[in-house]
This record gives sequence, C-alpha cells and structure tokens, in this order.
Amino acid sequence: MRCPGHEHVSRRALLKGTLATAAGGAVMNWGNLFQSRATAAEVERGQKRCILLWMNGGASQFETFDMKVGRPTGGLFREISTNVPGTRVCELMPTIAQNMDKLAVIRSMRTSQVDHPGGIHLMHTGYSEAAGIRFPEMGAVVAKYLGRDGSDLPNFIKIFPHGNTGSGFLGPMYQPFTLSPEGNLPTFSRSNLNPEIESRRSELRSFVEEQYARQHKAETARMHREAYEAARRLQNVQAVFHIDDEWEKYRDLYGDSAFGRRCLLARRLVEEGVPFVEVGQSSYDSHADNFVWHRGLLPPMERAWAGLLNDLEQRGLLEHTLVVWMGEIGRTPSINNRSGRDHYVRSWSTALAGGGVKGGLVYGESDEDGIDVKDNPVTEGDFFATIYQALGIDPAVEHYNGVRPIPIAPFGSKVVQDLLA
Amino acid sequence: MEINNPRHLWQLKFEGEWPTSVAFLGDRRRIAAGNRAGQIFVWELPETPPVPVKHENEEKEPAPPDCPPVRRLDGHANSVTHLVCAPDGKTLISSSLDRSVRLWDAEAVPTGTAEVVLDSQDRQRRARNKSGEEKDAILNAPGQTLETVECLHVLEGHRDWVSSLGMNRDGKRLISGDLSSNVIVWDLDGREAVFNWTGQAWNGIVAAALSPDGQTALVSEYCYKRDDFDIPAAALKLWNVADGSEKLDLLKLQFPKLDAGATSYGAAQVWRKFVANGLIAADFSPDGRLLAVGQGGETDIGQVHIFEVETGKLLRSVSGHRYGVCDVMFSADGRYVLSSGRDTQVRICQVSDGKEITVLGKERGGQFKDWLHAIDISPDQRYVAAADIAGMVHVWQLQS
Repeated sequence: MRCPGHEHVSRRALLKGTLATAAGGAVMNWGNLFQSRATAAEVERGQKRCILLWMNGGASQFETFDMKVGRPTGGLFREISTNVPGTRVCELMPTIAQNMDKLAVIRSMRTSQVDHPGGIHLMHTGYSEAAGIRFPEMGAVVAKYLGRDGSDLPNFIKIFPHGNTGSGFLGPMYQPFTLSPEGNLPTFSRSNLNPEIESRRSELRSFVEEQYARQHKAETARMHREAYEAARRLQNVQAVFHIDDEWEKYRDLYGDSAFGRRCLLARRLVEEGVPFVEVGQSSYDSHADNFVWHRGLLPPMERAWAGLLNDLEQRGLLEHTLVVWMGEIGRTPSINNRSGRDHYVRSWSTALAGGGVKGGLVYGESDEDGIDVKDNPVTEGDFFATIYQALGIDPAVEHYNGVRPIPIAPFGSKVVQDLLA
Repeated sequence: MEINNPRHLWQLKFEGEWPTSVAFLGDRRRIAAGNRAGQIFVWELPETPPVPVKHENEEKEPAPPDCPPVRRLDGHANSVTHLVCAPDGKTLISSSLDRSVRLWDAEAVPTGTAEVVLDSQDRQRRARNKSGEEKDAILNAPGQTLETVECLHVLEGHRDWVSSLGMNRDGKRLISGDLSSNVIVWDLDGREAVFNWTGQAWNGIVAAALSPDGQTALVSEYCYKRDDFDIPAAALKLWNVADGSEKLDLLKLQFPKLDAGATSYGAAQVWRKFVANGLIAADFSPDGRLLAVGQGGETDIGQVHIFEVETGKLLRSVSGHRYGVCDVMFSADGRYVLSSGRDTQVRICQVSDGKEITVLGKERGGQFKDWLHAIDISPDQRYVAAADIAGMVHVWQLQS
C-alpha cells in the first residue's frame, strides 16, 4: 500500500516545514500543523488508541517478567504467582500479577541497538538511525492514521518525553505535543489576554494573514496560521490537563506517585480521543545498584500501570486502547561489580495489553540463564508490525523519503499473529 | 586500638555469590561471613597463619593464606545483609532479604554435614586453558566437607527486605529496619519486639543503630523511588526507644531552611552532597557521645559524617571512599572510625581531627572497584575483617 498522494510529504515540503517550525520554538510543539478545522469531531467509541509506557534507560527483564531465580544471573528478587496459572513475575509487581490476564508478555525480544540514543530511536520508530532519513515515531504514525483532523487536542502527546525523533519524514503535522514530567502544559500554551481581547486579536491576525496568503502561496504562512489555530483550539480543552480534581478519587487506584498522575492524565487524554499518548518514567539505567533502583522504581510504576488498565477497562476503553510497555533495551544477565546490570538486547522483555491483543499470554522464551532467546525471537520490526496491526494500521504501508519507499514497519518484519486477539 | 604497620594476614576464599557481611565470633580466630545466596560460613583460624611461599620467577607477592571454613549455618533463603555477634561470643544474629532476622548458636551441635565449593572462580580460572578430562577434573574436584547448623530462632515481624541491623553494647537490644520503612527494636532475651515504628511512606530503612545503653536509636531512611531530577527523600533521626518519640532530626538541623520536597535545583545539590545516595551505614561511639554515618550508594566520594549525639551537631566529615561507603565502625576506645567502601579499601581515621591514619587494601584495576561490603573489629581490637565482593574475606593484623 502507498500513502495517498495528497498526504505525501515531499522532501521540499519537509524542508520548508522544518525551517518554518525552527523559526519559532512554540510552533515546533504543536500537533496538526497542516490541518486546521474549527471544531473537533465527536470521539467515536470504536476508534483505536495507544498508550506507550516508556521505561527510559531500560528496565531489567530479570527484575520484571523473565526471572531466573536460583540461576547465577537471577539476582535478588523472588517470583510470585499471577492470576494466570503457571505464569510468574517478579515480587515487585504484585498488582500487575493480579492483572496478568490482561497482558501479553514477550520474553523473546532481540533487537539491534544496545546503546541509549540508538535504542531510543529504534524502539520509538522501529528503525535504526540512518543518514539522510528521519524516521517517524510510532506516535506520529498513529497520529497520521488514527488522528482526527482539526481536533482541539493534539493527536500525539508525550508526557515526560524521551527521544526527539518526532514525526520525521511525515512532517510537522504529526509532531508530538510534549508535557512536563508533572503533566503541565508548556507556559506558551496559555494566553494572558482576556478572551475578548484575544478574540479580537485573533480576528485581526487572521485578516492580515489572509491578505498575505492571497499574494504569497508559501506553505510557511499556512503553517503559521494553522499553528495559531491549533493553539487557540487548545484553549478550549485545557481542563483535560488539570487532573487535580480527579486525582483524589483515583489516587489509590493509580498509586500516589508522579508516574501514577501521568497515567491518569493519559487515560483522560485517550478518553477525549487522543489516539497516541506516551508516558515516560526515567532512571532505569541501573549500571549500579540495579536491585535497589528497581526496588524503588517498579512498585509505583506497576501500581500505576495496573490502575490504568483497570480504569480503561471500567470505562469500556481497554478493548480499543493498546497499552504498550517497553524501554529501549534490556539488561545484562551478568551482574557487575557495581551491583548493576548493563545494556543487553540479545534477549529481553516487553508487554502489550488491551485493544487488539490477547491477554494472559507469554510469548517466546529465553534460555535458562536469560542469555539468549530460546524460542520465537521477536525483532524490533516484528514488534512494531504487530503493534500497528493491532491498531488496525497496515504495517506494510509505504511512505516516501524522496523516491525511496519506506514501510512504517521495516521490510521483512513479521506480525506476531499469536499475540493478536 | 593500636595501629602499627598493619599486615594482611588471611585471605579466605568465599567465592560464588558476593560476601556481604562479616563478624568476629568472640575472638580473633573465629569469623562468620554471609553472602548474597543467604549462606553463612564459620571459619576457625589457626593461631599462626602459614607463611605464603613465593615461587621462583613470580613477580607478585604471594596472596595471604586461605583456610577452609568449618561450619555452615543453614536457614536464609536470600541474601544476608548484616551479621552481628552478641558479647557472649557465640550468639550470631543475621538479617536477610528473605525478610527474617535469625539467631544462631555458632557452637550448637551440628545437624548434618555438607560438601561445599568455595573456590568456584579459582577453578574456572585454572580450567580456562584446559580441555577434556583435565578440565573436568579441575571443575568437578571434591569440595570441602563441613558441619551444618540450623538456626536457633527466627525473629519474625518484617514484611520486606531486612536492610539494616544493629545491637547495643550488652547485646540485650537489637534494632532492625526494612525497605518498607518499618523499624523494630527487639528484646533478645525475650526474643520479642518491644517497639516498632514506621518512617516515611516509600522510604526504606537503609541504616539503623542503637546507642550503647540501648535507649537511643538512629534510623536512616532513603527513597529510591524517583525519576530524573527528583530530589530523593531521606531522613536521619534519633529516637527515644522507650516511647518512640523523636529526639533529633539530624538532617533538619543541617538544613533548617531546606524543604526537601519542594526546593530549588541549587539547594537540592547541597542536599544531595550531604545525603549522597543514602546514608547507609551507622555506628554509635562506645561512650554513646558520637555517631558516625556513611554516605553510600554509588556516589563520587563517600565520606563519614561524625555527629555529636546530644546536640546533633556535625563535628566533621572524614574519610573518602571513591564511589561510596559500605560500612562504618568505631574502635572500642572511640579514638578511630573505620570505614569500608566501593574502592576495595578500609580507611581508619582519627575521630579527634579526622586525620587518616592508615588504609587497608588496595584499589583494584578498572574504572569501578570491587566493594568491601562489610567490616568488623576483633574483640581484642587487634584485627580487622572485611567481606570482599570479589569472593574473599580479608583479615588484617593491625600491628605486625
């Protein structure tokens, strides 16, 4: 499949867009730069959405889903049983253990980039970095295919963002809108003017821009106008970002943590129709003191993750919302003399839940020490192809970087059908 | 304690899992050490160590002699975190990640025997360039047969990793803390909890100590739950054991104006510089007047803060272990504070002026060094033992 001609972003247009957005940091951050409509469509219940829980630095598979208790690589934690008979996970994840029937865990990830920048790029795009090509992040692809034109909310939102690949060759229209670790809107997103003055000012600006646009057909002017429109539309929905009122009610469900608050905000956003939200948690790069760091990071994370799944389920959203859990790398089987684990990509774990995937499933297997994949290896391409398929996006759809066709999941990627519902 | 030209006397093999803890049992010749697998071994060393033989053409000085252990104390199912020995010289107390505190009689009648291999790394090294039968013979050679002993009693009350342990001078009171922020003070005669309290939510107890009279407890808390740029929550407080009331908040005294929960980046750096990645080791001086607390976690240079107990005043920060402190102890005369760290060294500093008197051990190669995870001083104050994560227990004689 090829993308429709009118959506094909040429190299020239991309360069123009990049230049235009580079001219103003504020513009850089707005989603839907090319598309501007005054009103957002009503959210359709059946629309697919995706929440990516991003474990920055690389959470350890040995301390989460692929434990090797009793082996030299096993580490200090013990396993607990889950609500799926025969499946056991780390004792640090008791809440997730009771929600394993919602998860499809992949214990056989084998990816190609072992460092952080390369891994972050790879696991955000499905591709290794390549000279001359800016691949789009998964969120940009989802925004393109599942996003709503002219919506008040951006179609691709990152809360506590990691990685900066953005929309790549898909163009600025699908750039992520980024929020701080606390989920706060950027300061430039709020107007200090009173609404009446703001409205008059907007009308004047529109008038001037229209006059200018009649004489100048440059894309830059249109993008500038649309960025302002997007900003104005966002004023209508700022309440979505203010979670404090709801937080008291959901604190217990999500757990009292910054990550819990981010997950609650993610739920609110997908409920409002945002098709892709990434929620970051940092500090998993445990080259030193791996065990105490995971002891600190995992409990709030798993509580929030389980809370998110249950909240989505109770609202009837889980069947339409794919929740992806991953970082950019796994961690080494061996434990170094800093009590840490280093980077490892020969065999590690990720997990999916919700829309489009089976629950209560463990796919693939590592060997007894977790050194290599024993069964059913899943590459980054396979992983992305499976995610896109679960979201109803054809992973073979091609875009063009100049004249070069580039599928959204790399050539040769296989959809892991066993994971799909 | 007298220090004069210290000598590395023994290097006991304890390979396999990391040795994490060490304690002298009554005299300098009996040593117990625990590891990450939950094993505890007891060594009974001969009066005089054999003289190491230097072979011809060997450039390096030979390693100090080894001596096999005689007993294994069976019971823990996960890493031993600390060992302390009661003044009777035979009651050993251990804390563990298996959430228990166990009491052992090191002289108890053995309940069985076991064959153990404590030179697994050495075997791997020797077998590296061998093949076939020769390699198998090295790797599968018989191990050491020793007695096994079961534990005397399990002190139950913790529901998370027991991460800290301390005892008062007469050995009647014990304090233990876990990573769910629970602290328990135990009466060892009655083998029961006499007091417990909970620190801040999400914090773990990373160090706990009792004053010599058992009336004051020091508890150090630290929170590992954080994303980048969060300010770590920490607490360092003195408590009245009798009623559980707070006596002094030592961090508050250091930083009276600092709100650790909502502060500037600059202030956070001051805080971090003092707390490092947790104040993870603590000891009261024998007279109960001073307190030593070590900066742990992986940090730039880990120091030992010395406080005045009565006022909470910081007298000085001494020592300096590259990458952090692991353990801290006062000498029995209170003149010295000993610390071990992530630089494979034991540093002995004079309490009165902070001067470093001597250093035991050498930094190993590589960017990151092996840790000396724990130390103990023999009751006669003439020997120091250290648990080395590289799979050894070192014993130094302080006067040669």
